[in-house]
Amino acid sequence: MEEEYDAIVLGTGLKECILSGMLSVSGKKILHIDRNKYYGGESASITPLEELFSKFNVTMPANQYGKGREWNVDLIPKFLMANGLLVKLLIHTGVTRYLEFKSVEGSYVYKSGKISKVPIDQQEALTSDLMGIFEKRRFKNFLVWVQNMQEDDPKSWDNFDPFNNSMSLLYSKFSLDKNTQDFTGHALALHRNDDYISQSAIITIRRIKLYSDSLARYGKSPYLYPMYGLGELPQGFARLSAIYGGTYMLDKPVDEIIMEDGKVTGVRSGQEIAKCKQVFCDPTYVPNLVKKVGKVIRCICLLDHPIPNTNAALSTQIIIPQKQVNRKSDIYVSVVSHTHQVAAKGWFIAMVSTTVETDNPELEIKHGLDLLGPISQKFVYISDYLEPIDNGSESQIFISSSYDATTHFETTCLDVLSIFKKATGEEFDFNKVKHELGDEDIQ
Amino acid sequence: MASRGTAQRPNGTQGKICQFKLVLLGESAVGKSSLVLRFVKGQFHEYQESTIGAAFLTQTVCLEETTVKFEIWDTAGQERYHSLAPMYYRGAQAAIVVYDITNQDTFTRATTWVKELQRQASPSIVIALAGNKADLGNKRVVEYEEAQAYAEENGLLFMETSAKTAMNVNDIFLAIAKKLPKNEQTGNAGTSGQGRRLVESEGQKPTSGNCCK
Ligand SMILES: Cc1cc2nc3c(=O)[nH]c(=O)nc-3n(C[C@H](O)[C@H](O)[C@H](O)COP(=O)(O)OP(=O)(O)OC[C@H]3O[C@@H](n4cnc5c(N)ncnc54)[C@H](O)[C@@H]3O)c2cc1C
Ligand SMILES: Nc1nc2c(ncn2[C@@H]2O[C@H](COP(=O)(O)OP(=O)(O)O)[C@@H](O)[C@H]2O)c(=O)[nH]1
Ligand SMILES: [Mg+2]
Repeated sequence: MEEEYDAIVLGTGLKECILSGMLSVSGKKILHIDRNKYYGGESASITPLEELFSKFNVTMPANQYGKGREWNVDLIPKFLMANGLLVKLLIHTGVTRYLEFKSVEGSYVYKSGKISKVPIDQQEALTSDLMGIFEKRRFKNFLVWVQNMQEDDPKSWDNFDPFNNSMSLLYSKFSLDKNTQDFTGHALALHRNDDYISQSAIITIRRIKLYSDSLARYGKSPYLYPMYGLGELPQGFARLSAIYGGTYMLDKPVDEIIMEDGKVTGVRSGQEIAKCKQVFCDPTYVPNLVKKVGKVIRCICLLDHPIPNTNAALSTQIIIPQKQVNRKSDIYVSVVSHTHQVAAKGWFIAMVSTTVETDNPELEIKHGLDLLGPISQKFVYISDYLEPIDNGSESQIFISSSYDATTHFETTCLDVLSIFKKATGEEFDFNKVKHELGDEDIQ
Repeated sequence: MASRGTAQRPNGTQGKICQFKLVLLGESAVGKSSLVLRFVKGQFHEYQESTIGAAFLTQTVCLEETTVKFEIWDTAGQERYHSLAPMYYRGAQAAIVVYDITNQDTFTRATTWVKELQRQASPSIVIALAGNKADLGNKRVVEYEEAQAYAEENGLLFMETSAKTAMNVNDIFLAIAKKLPKNEQTGNAGTSGQGRRLVESEGQKPTSGNCCK
């Protein structure tokens, strides 16, 4: 450990592992440390199931849940957008070689007390009960406009300037009713609250395009999920970093971040000191350099059946738009199962999550829990959402934010890319990844 | 990308290709990377640097009925501070556990790796034990008989190898290739959780799947 590095990365959560990979690929000498003896920190998938029960101090009933080793339970539920940033990063860095994915089978949205499938083609749209027949036509006109609209070609805008007009005006242009707006803003554009309505329409247009481009890639839904759980993602990026020379130490306590004249110079673990020019870490390694800006409640539910009214889907997402249940932020339900090698045969894992708004957070997720049918076991936990108060320009300590309540990785990747840029002064150059990466076929 | 299908065999007949994920395990500096380099490229370096930029290497072995294509995963140095990720041996169908015949500790560690594999990996995994640096016979501390007895007890293939002189390097891979079951269920390379791998700007076609068709 007692060497000099360009950068030391603390914590092996997804963000830190992506950063570590990008830095190693860019030629930096990296030491990557985690205080835990496993990869992933908060983005680990917990295995075996016994570990999850003991983490929550619950006694695990014998012989009920199959083999504990067959379970890999995520602590933070998220899906990948098939055409999103994380998939781009995975492909360009070659990390995708270590992973396998399945499409999420369907996406549902909550309306007036029940759930409906978000239609993915004309067939489904025709039979969908989300909209009446006339509304369907208006919505179709809206989608066609969004699809055809090119940001750099005002001729395609059809007299609506998407940059200088609000989303609210765009909805009016197509006379979409409140329910359709709810569904569009929350189930397609994946906004977490209604702030977007008064903001520039282009923000939402881009998100709808991402949704439909993602849908176009694999068909069933715009979402992907990795086999064996999300915990595979940090491991994949850590391997990338190691292949490019990064040094890995797990189970290594971090006792001090050493500063000199307001600038980081190294990290101490016990008696050992590793020198460095920069530190990258998650908020838990620097409690005095972050502030709490909110709370997220997440409830892991083990089920021995699929979610009612989802056509027995082995994976799905349900979005409960905030207005439908008189809230300020949406409630998300995500479901994965034995088909992803994250649960024993016949078992499902549902996760209900939302941003905390009251002092009775468990009550806030009730609408989500009520959709699940009988629940065999519930694990509820509330985590603080932390943001850095130090931007790193002086200290050279670059801190990621906690994982937010969004159900996909777009904000995760944006955080990573912005940290990389802040620290290195340049955008990440994908061309630095050697193209033959690992597929040397020698006959 | 991992390919599949039929291969033109040396004698011109078509054979089926089975692809397998093979992982290397063992203490640092026992010669894991050197064994791979010898097997895949026929080279040896006295000062072997960790192979930068190789996710995994592939090499094929031709048997009478089939061609076995190994997707070989090196540790990328992550074993040094006991920081190998579970993903590494996920879905591995074969493993070579390496020790250095001139270093007793590496043999002890090798037996722990074997236990780890028996605990974590698929029950049908084929494990080979390699006593490497056999060219350094004058510095030997691990006796051939001791290792062989251990291997026999645990159902492992066993050979002493030298990445330096190439002794038994091809042979150990060949022995593994022969022992691997070549049927539909087992002939999937990679993580074989029956998902798909993502590839650039592509729509429908899944690229993983059965290779033994
Ligand atoms: C979240 C989401 C919801 C969608 N909902 C619908 C839907 O309700 N109905 C639907 O048909 N397609 C819907 N689509 C579009 C759908 O995924 C396909 O784009 C469409 O079915 C046609 O695809 P295409 O590539 O064959 O041809 P395209 O050239 O894209 O379209 C073929 C025909 O389908 C029409 N069309 C496109 N979108 C809609 C729409 N929303 N409603 C009615 N007609 C449409 C086009 O005007 C055209 O006549 C939705 C897409 C997304 C992302
Ligand atoms: N004499 C001898 N040296 C070897 C042999 N195999 C590897 N080495 C040397 O041992 C050192 C470590 O090898 P390396 O392949 O990096 O080990 P790894 O850490 O297990 O991957 C290097 O200096 C190699 O040159 C061998 O068979 N004989
Ligand atoms: Mg090596």
